[in-house]
Amino acid sequence: MINLEFIINTLSLGSLYAMLALGLVIVYGILNLVNFAYGELIMVGGYVMFLLTAFSPLPWLVVGILAIGAGMLASLFTELVAFRPVREKSLTAMLVTSFAISTLLQNAALLIISPRARAVTLPEIFQTSVMIAGTSVPWRNILTIVTCVVTLTLLTLLLRHTVLGIALRAAADNFKMTRLLGVPANTVISTAFAISGIMAGIVSIFWIGRSSSVTPTIGAPPLLVAFVACVIGGMRNLTGAVVGGFVYAIIISLLGVILPPGLVEFREAFMFVIVIIILLFRPEGLIRSKTSVERVG
Amino acid sequence: MLELHDIHARYGAITALRGISITVSQGELVALLGVNGAGKSTTLGCIGGVMRPWQGSITFEGNSLVGKPPEQIARMGISLVPEGRDIFPSLTVEENLRLGAYVRSEKGEYRRNLEETFELFPVLKERIEQPGGTLSGGEQQQLAIARALMSRPRLLMLDEPSLGLSPALVDQIFELITNLHQRGVTILLVEQNVERSLEIVDRAYLMNTGLIESQGTSEQLRTHADIEGIYMGVKKQPGK
Amino acid sequence: MKLAARLKSLNTPLTLVAGILIIALFTQLAGISLLTRIVTVMFVSLMVVLGLQLYMGNSGILNFAHVGFMGIGAYTAVLLSMTPQAKLLTNSGLYPVLAPLHLPFLPSILIGALVAAALAAIIGYPLMRLSDAAAVITSFAVLVIINVVMLHWDPVTNGPRTLFGVDYRTTLWMSVIFAMFTIVAVYLFKESRVGLRLRASRDDRYAAASIGINMMVMRWLAFVASAFVAGMGGGLWAHFITSFSPYSFYLSETFVVLAMLVIGGPSSVSGAVVGTLVVTATREALRAIENQINILQIFPQGFFGFTEVVLSIVLILILVYRPTGIMGNHELHWPRLRRKTDVVELNEPKA
Repeated sequence: MINLEFIINTLSLGSLYAMLALGLVIVYGILNLVNFAYGELIMVGGYVMFLLTAFSPLPWLVVGILAIGAGMLASLFTELVAFRPVREKSLTAMLVTSFAISTLLQNAALLIISPRARAVTLPEIFQTSVMIAGTSVPWRNILTIVTCVVTLTLLTLLLRHTVLGIALRAAADNFKMTRLLGVPANTVISTAFAISGIMAGIVSIFWIGRSSSVTPTIGAPPLLVAFVACVIGGMRNLTGAVVGGFVYAIIISLLGVILPPGLVEFREAFMFVIVIIILLFRPEGLIRSKTSVERVG
Repeated sequence: MLELHDIHARYGAITALRGISITVSQGELVALLGVNGAGKSTTLGCIGGVMRPWQGSITFEGNSLVGKPPEQIARMGISLVPEGRDIFPSLTVEENLRLGAYVRSEKGEYRRNLEETFELFPVLKERIEQPGGTLSGGEQQQLAIARALMSRPRLLMLDEPSLGLSPALVDQIFELITNLHQRGVTILLVEQNVERSLEIVDRAYLMNTGLIESQGTSEQLRTHADIEGIYMGVKKQPGK
Repeated sequence: MKLAARLKSLNTPLTLVAGILIIALFTQLAGISLLTRIVTVMFVSLMVVLGLQLYMGNSGILNFAHVGFMGIGAYTAVLLSMTPQAKLLTNSGLYPVLAPLHLPFLPSILIGALVAAALAAIIGYPLMRLSDAAAVITSFAVLVIINVVMLHWDPVTNGPRTLFGVDYRTTLWMSVIFAMFTIVAVYLFKESRVGLRLRASRDDRYAAASIGINMMVMRWLAFVASAFVAGMGGGLWAHFITSFSPYSFYLSETFVVLAMLVIGGPSSVSGAVVGTLVVTATREALRAIENQINILQIFPQGFFGFTEVVLSIVLILILVYRPTGIMGNHELHWPRLRRKTDVVELNEPKA
């Protein structure tokens, strides 16, 4: 049934997916790197939340901020240790490295903490709802939407009104030229990874807010969503990522309602078929950018 | 000011430069001339830090450039405008220029430089809020040069600024370069348009397949160098 | 004269095959069942890794869907090779139409491979038209989707539950023979017109297009062939392990196969072989350590994931310090490592 509840749920999901996709595309736009370890940044945020809520008396606001900080630090760390050394070599090397880091982080969590799921104590507000126009809306959903709006606004401000932001956008257009103007490559790339990590941290709060537990493999589903959202939206620009995130949320929510009980578990497979169809007609994605990526055929 | 000595460079297995030596003094307008593939762009690339020569030295005001990353070389006061203009299509004209001034830290200076730039390039002032990608070829070339000037470079390097432009625009560009030269900007110019270049430069080097065939003032080159031969592939007959 | 020349050009595959045979003989003679197990699995893994080399080594594009096709081959093969009673025993909800299907071992494997290839042909068509990064991502999505389908299509795959009762047919020598044939086949592909054209177009697609090489078609062919090999490897593996679930064909498996290829050297067939050998040996050693620590209960909550952590670190180190893998871009020759036969580098200069 498409009612207010459905709309708000979908908006909330779209907000989550948009932020998710943003974190991925910001690194891709500059480096052409698809960061397979992005999902594990969410995992790191989740485990930080677990450790802090289970073993420390810190209030939830602080825990959330620390989780976001952890995401950022983890992202910067992986850039420094694993991507920077391979950056000059080839894109394939970077892709495989990112996959290796993904495996490394997952198994490190397995090794150091546990293969079993760990419960994260969620803040009270995630369990309460509010009545809007006769429907019970979980606070969590409203918070997700609000956070998305705030984050997008802040990001836009950064990208449009600061020199660093302008440099980031320039690097996405033409990395080499940006360096020729004296902008240090490492600064640009680290900033991109930092933003990516922050987005992952924010997403981890709301993602785990849905399931209230964290496992080593929690990074895989959001990674796939981010991937598909970016591919739909067009890998080259941030607007595309946001649009892709919302489109994904809308389609998958609609599929959840439309598909009969026997097929509903295959939602993701259907989603994928739709994505393939979109790509058949628009391989560059839905949002045209001025500098579209070259197609092969 | 700038000294290249015995520069050798290659792309993988292909040798691009086979021993290039060039000097540029302060305030000069020097050209590197030659056909496609002669190694002109490669030379600029080596100076600018985009490429690394495997042999030879490059010094700028006494400091070695070889092995330094492009951003560091830019901070030393060398501005390269690559072939193909390379303006940022999704950034506005103003943002392009703003980034050009990246190496300059003072706030007031940026405003002043911007005003001066608009005097030289009035069309850019008109289009200031437009994305770079919507500008015409000639306007983009102007933007690229303006952007490079925003950093008040000590050495400006231009790679084929007249490429792909209509004759009227080519006139404009060469006029601009002359203007800049008169204002005291040191320029190293790479061009295929030999005639126009020789009209305005102090000195030029004629390059061919990675080597310098001849060098000298415009007069000297016109009389003694086998310019036709290089462009037509036919060697001058001795005694002609 | 002609025979000698022919043999000379087949130096590499013959050398590799000889190496494989020596290992197999040694294993047979040693008679230790654990070793036989390890080596048999190694040869089946080798097939899968070779399949990936066929695509990745020649096209230069990462394909994450590879073990997904292995899984498709595995499930198809066992659905055909198991007796109706065995099938219904493990999967009571099996589609009735599938139950009576019963074919001998080799045809089952073959059909499994063909089904995998057919699916690759269909999926591959839109995939080839994407730019490199989108193609990699989409291949990853394909892996996930294959996994989702396998997990939920209970009447066919038994869902997330283990499918058991498969005949044990993949003996040491069975896997050796298949591995040998695969080595030769993948090498021949590499040196075939398709392989050469594919590698040429990798370097410069415009130059290649201008002499009439249609890169998309070449890539597609490689993709389908690679899936065929993976499917066959999957069928063989299923008949070794005799019980499995969809999780056998997902991220961990993808990681191992990728590690084997990249550590060995993705540009060459020898790289696939060497990588499989090295990684198998390393893994078994690490696993032994892991098990020992668990037995001794040094860590109360269990000691898992150690093998993968070490392996991923090794992979990263190789990528940083020797990105072309152990074999570099060379193939093995007899006599030892003569210089430079071939292939284009994995190392492209950036900027």
